[in-house]
Amino acid sequence: MNRPLLFCVLGLAAAIAYPLLVPNYLVTIGMLVFFTAFIGQSWNIAGGFAGQTSFGHVVFFGTGAYTSTILQVTWGWNPWLAWPVAMAAGGAVGWMIALLSFRAGLRGSYFALITLAFAEVFRILANSVPFTKGGLGMLIKADPRPINFQFKDPIWIYYLALLLCIVSLLIAWQLTRSRFGARLVAIRENEDAARALGIDVFAEKVKVLTLSGAMCAAGGTFYAQKYLYIDPGIAFGVDKSVEMLLVSMVGGAGTIFGPLIGSFTLMGINEVTRWLASVVPALKNVQPLSLVVYGIMLILIVARLPDGLMSLFRRKPRHA
Amino acid sequence: MTKQRTSGVSRRTFLAGGTALTIGAPGLAGAQPAAVKVGLIHPVTGFVAYNGQQSRLGGTMAIEDVNKAGGIKSMGGAKLEALLGDSQSKVEVGVSEVEKMNEQGVAAYIGCFQSPVGIAASQAAAKYGTPFLVDVGASDLLMSRGLKNVFRLKPGFGVCVDDGIASLGALNKAANNVAKTAVIVHESGEFGTGTAKLLASKLPSIGIAAKELIAHDNPTRNFDNIALRIRSLAPDIVMMSNYGNEYMLLARTLYQQKVNVAGFFSILGGGFNYKFVKEMPDVSQYMMDVNHWYNPKSPQAQALKKRVEATGALFTFEVYLTYSNVMLLADALEHAGSADKEKLIAALAASTFKAELMPYGPTKFVNGQNQGGRPATMQSLKGEIEVIAPEEFASAKAVFPKPKL
Repeated sequence: MNRPLLFCVLGLAAAIAYPLLVPNYLVTIGMLVFFTAFIGQSWNIAGGFAGQTSFGHVVFFGTGAYTSTILQVTWGWNPWLAWPVAMAAGGAVGWMIALLSFRAGLRGSYFALITLAFAEVFRILANSVPFTKGGLGMLIKADPRPINFQFKDPIWIYYLALLLCIVSLLIAWQLTRSRFGARLVAIRENEDAARALGIDVFAEKVKVLTLSGAMCAAGGTFYAQKYLYIDPGIAFGVDKSVEMLLVSMVGGAGTIFGPLIGSFTLMGINEVTRWLASVVPALKNVQPLSLVVYGIMLILIVARLPDGLMSLFRRKPRHA
Repeated sequence: MTKQRTSGVSRRTFLAGGTALTIGAPGLAGAQPAAVKVGLIHPVTGFVAYNGQQSRLGGTMAIEDVNKAGGIKSMGGAKLEALLGDSQSKVEVGVSEVEKMNEQGVAAYIGCFQSPVGIAASQAAAKYGTPFLVDVGASDLLMSRGLKNVFRLKPGFGVCVDDGIASLGALNKAANNVAKTAVIVHESGEFGTGTAKLLASKLPSIGIAAKELIAHDNPTRNFDNIALRIRSLAPDIVMMSNYGNEYMLLARTLYQQKVNVAGFFSILGGGFNYKFVKEMPDVSQYMMDVNHWYNPKSPQAQALKKRVEATGALFTFEVYLTYSNVMLLADALEHAGSADKEKLIAALAASTFKAELMPYGPTKFVNGQNQGGRPATMQSLKGEIEVIAPEEFASAKAVFPKPKL
């Protein structure tokens, strides 16, 4: 067995055993690590592999959350059935944004800003239209049974998040091996050169944003089912976009494991600093300390490792 | 001749007693009942950090007071122990705090200031059947889910709007119905939107029409456009329902742009507090708010106000609401005689706790909501906050309509 595969098998075994060995609180944190890695990977596929940096990926997240919640609460659908519909809706929104933006020739920072604008438009729409109940938000009735996509024991939602994360890793892995992935990398490195090579840049970019949107929407439904309440601020708030972008950048954009490593690191720093602030007597009343330490760590990672933490694992070129 | 004993305690008795005490002392110390852990979950960081910190202050002061008074007597003097949690204004973090405290053996939670965080956190607490006391969250969604573990001492925004409408109606009637139109400015979240919609539907009952509902985001750092819009609509009253910073900024912008109306009347105006009134007396002059407020005629409330102010903090509603909730919990523990979750929930449901600090009627929980909770109507007058309604708690007479700028 080669070393990367061995690491993957050991990591998977540890992830499966983890919730059986730790208290519920740490199971919840583990679930958040995998969930954030999953939505981070959805960003990474468009922003990392294809170089289509987006500041408004939350638009897909919110679309997924609202689609499944509306189908469930208003139309009485089962959430498991609503889930693929939510993914399709997220994909459709991705397709629409890609079509409008790329047809207009938007690239780089212009594309990033237009995605942010779309997210804001969706947030304002969700605040205004009656079927989302506006700012009142939507409450999903608590009925903790697996058939309702609700679980009494946090271990099951943890395993579901783990499964989502594994699927997202497999998608990313497949991208590194497929022609589609190679075309995306070519577009990321030099769009004009890719076009000169005969790649249909527009079609590939539309495809990747559709895929990314569908994945991110799946995360939105997962979130709504876990917390049973969404409102426009939660579903379309800019902080989720930043979270997705951050875990990918810190871990290593355009790499398979970047979002997972980033999510693990950022969540770890956050939890450790919060724990320190609550147990060290001198720090008890210095609550923002955890955020300050979090910020400093972030600056250090970005400054010292611009290619993300995954660059630590890359083999250094041998010198003759 | 035998010696006469001069003392009632013989050497043997003394030694026996001493030995018994020496042997028994650790046992006696061990008999000290275990502390009851109370989870205080508030947003002490994030965009409503000030409010969260104020809630924490009230909660920890109340725990100190309960412990100083001998703890929970029916539990052998068991002390309360605060478990402090920071929700960071995020739903996920609020829920993970609930999980963490559950591992630490929490008996009950008090929190979470923001309604969305409270909704998710109380739902998570329901999984473990742990009582959850909503101290500040105003949304009526919090209490509409049929959760047996959730209790709210204060009124929700439904009651606040009803009382506010009644209060405004009475003021307007006394002023010969000077106000006929209103503009409602509200934050775009669950609390502001819910309050604004209720207001718009109920204002016509007192002869006032809502000209427009203007929503704004959190945070909003410039209200110039909204002020210009209000000026162009020329309403008789501006009604606000938003969080602290936005409330103060909007009030200041309206003052700077000289928007002349008969009155500013807010329902649950997050910024209507001593900080605002002391720091901006000109801006706040004659502004009115229907909100949670302490009973100015209560000696306990006045004493607590002095104590809080002595620490350099302000006596804002978060302080005494969280304080009152800790006291409600202590009272329920006293009646339950145990920190057993089921017994505690039963004691809370049957509670007749007297909320000494608040202008409330008798406590009676129906589906977790206290029926005795009610807000007060206040007005800022010469740098002070005066209660103008209900009449039995009033400390001043209302000035309405306000003099022109």
